[in-house]
Amino acid sequence: MPLVEVSNAGFGYNGRAIFKNINLEVREGEVFCIVGPNGCGKTTFLDCLLGLLKLDQGDILLGGRNIKTIRPPDVAKVLAYVPQSHQKTFPYTVMEIVLMGRASYTGIFSSPSPADISIAEEALAIVGLQEYRNRPYTQLSGGEGQLVMIARALAQKTPVIIMDEPTAHLDFKHELTVLETMVQLVRNTGKSVIMATHFPNHAFYFENNDVPTSVALMDKLTFSVIGRPGEVLSEKNLKSLYRINARVVSYQLDHNTEVKQIIPISTLYSKESERVN
Amino acid sequence: MTKKKLIYIILFLAPFAFIFLSLFVGRYPLSVPEVARILWGKLIFSAWGLQDISTTIVWDIRLPRAILGALVGGSLAVSGAAFQGLFRNPLVSSGILGVSSGAGFGAALAILLFNTTSYIYIFAFCFGGMAVLFSFLIGKIYNTTPTIMLVLGGVIVSSVFSALISFAKYVADPYNQLPAITFWLMGSLASARYQDIMVAGVPMLLGIAGLIAVRWRINILSMGDREAHTLGLNTALSKGIVVICATLATAGAVCVSGIIGWVGLVIPHIGRMLVGNDNKILIPTSLALGACFLILVDNLGRVISGSEIPLGILTALVGGPFFVYLLKKTKGGGW
Repeated sequence: MPLVEVSNAGFGYNGRAIFKNINLEVREGEVFCIVGPNGCGKTTFLDCLLGLLKLDQGDILLGGRNIKTIRPPDVAKVLAYVPQSHQKTFPYTVMEIVLMGRASYTGIFSSPSPADISIAEEALAIVGLQEYRNRPYTQLSGGEGQLVMIARALAQKTPVIIMDEPTAHLDFKHELTVLETMVQLVRNTGKSVIMATHFPNHAFYFENNDVPTSVALMDKLTFSVIGRPGEVLSEKNLKSLYRINARVVSYQLDHNTEVKQIIPISTLYSKESERVN
Repeated sequence: MTKKKLIYIILFLAPFAFIFLSLFVGRYPLSVPEVARILWGKLIFSAWGLQDISTTIVWDIRLPRAILGALVGGSLAVSGAAFQGLFRNPLVSSGILGVSSGAGFGAALAILLFNTTSYIYIFAFCFGGMAVLFSFLIGKIYNTTPTIMLVLGGVIVSSVFSALISFAKYVADPYNQLPAITFWLMGSLASARYQDIMVAGVPMLLGIAGLIAVRWRINILSMGDREAHTLGLNTALSKGIVVICATLATAGAVCVSGIIGWVGLVIPHIGRMLVGNDNKILIPTSLALGACFLILVDNLGRVISGSEIPLGILTALVGGPFFVYLLKKTKGGGW
């Protein structure tokens, strides 16, 4: 049975459709990337998945159960969320933030137990930040902050993690650190990741690392194409999705590793465009 | 670790020490053995009436006043800390949802209509609660209650009730009622009696106990609605509990003491500098600090001049410079 199954999902604000007819299935140990231009409704779709918004049509099943019938704490035991941008308010320590991942396991009148603390410590160790446990998280760099958010999601002990632009605003190194952490998680712990991203290359990154990966192109209110990155992220599809000219190149790193990447070249109607075509 | 434990023990004992020490403060000098004799007599042989002047001063004036000060200070500080977390805003205080201005208007109305203290308590408490209810209803205009709408509701309700307070002052009799309203609004513990503690203490203690019970949830609420929901919180329920408890505590405090500003804003920050931001520890710390601070300020108000200085004035005069000192000393604690 798929961990997450969405059938015929549709949602709109005040009668204006944001998306419709969306279907997807995510199984254990799989990365599902949602790719699409700005404003195509990726975040809204993720909000529906998380139960923050209610679908107008269709159903979301978590492990076969309809999300409408599941209470928030139980949804939070299946789906963890790593936000796109986390607004920092109070300078909590890293440990205090990660412990918040244990909320769905903690009664309304109680606080985290020693067992919760050791789970949070494990989560911090997985992202490699155990040294930072007593630092105020407001003083961390963007990449480290993102790793703390991932650790918090890990402390939630869910089979699925949902990420919205997990590498937005990060430099190359921190971007790779986050991606490497994700690959490790999927490989070693069998977690599944559903992520929205502006970088289709991320899908190639997972595929290049032999992680089972699906990509959905979100276009014209729905998932226009779903499949393996190698098939879906073609020059033709990128052209119709983003209105750009791009090349998909492959580089032989050594004899059993091939690295695929997209090189965006120009928008369709620019001067450069004539040369490419 | 041991240093932390020591801080907690000190914080736990401090309010009791402050209550005890304030028994010696005042115009009528009392020695330690005398106070000890009175307390001993009252606690052990309560039937054994020794009603001399010192007994009355210690047992019927200074002690209830100190206990009430501790309760009021603790209530304001705890609800301020809870609201700062809930509204994700360090500049929020216990009056953010309009409870203080509502209670102020209730008191002014009672003074205009009846001029007996028992009605003042009831009116202040009810109007304080009503103001929060209005804020909540305004916040619900969009069906959900996003935090920002609640704050907006609070701002609207506060300003309407402030206008009503001004109106009450405008129509009040300038020789009796107007001074009564003005003094009430400046805050005082001068009328403290055991009946007041019994009556107003109930909502204060209920509110404090509720906030202490849900204190760790406030951490999660302070991540914002979106994240709190995805972390598994029933946000509407948790927010509701925090708002109701904080309102009970604040309304209970305001109805007996008048409007005492500053405690609910600044004490939580002093707490943050001492023990950090985790509400699990911050809420009890704010309780202890708020209690000590208000007892201290009340004692000052009684001693430094010939007549009593209203509390609302002194809390800011004492608290302001002390806060600046702490800011400098702790470098703001990671802000």
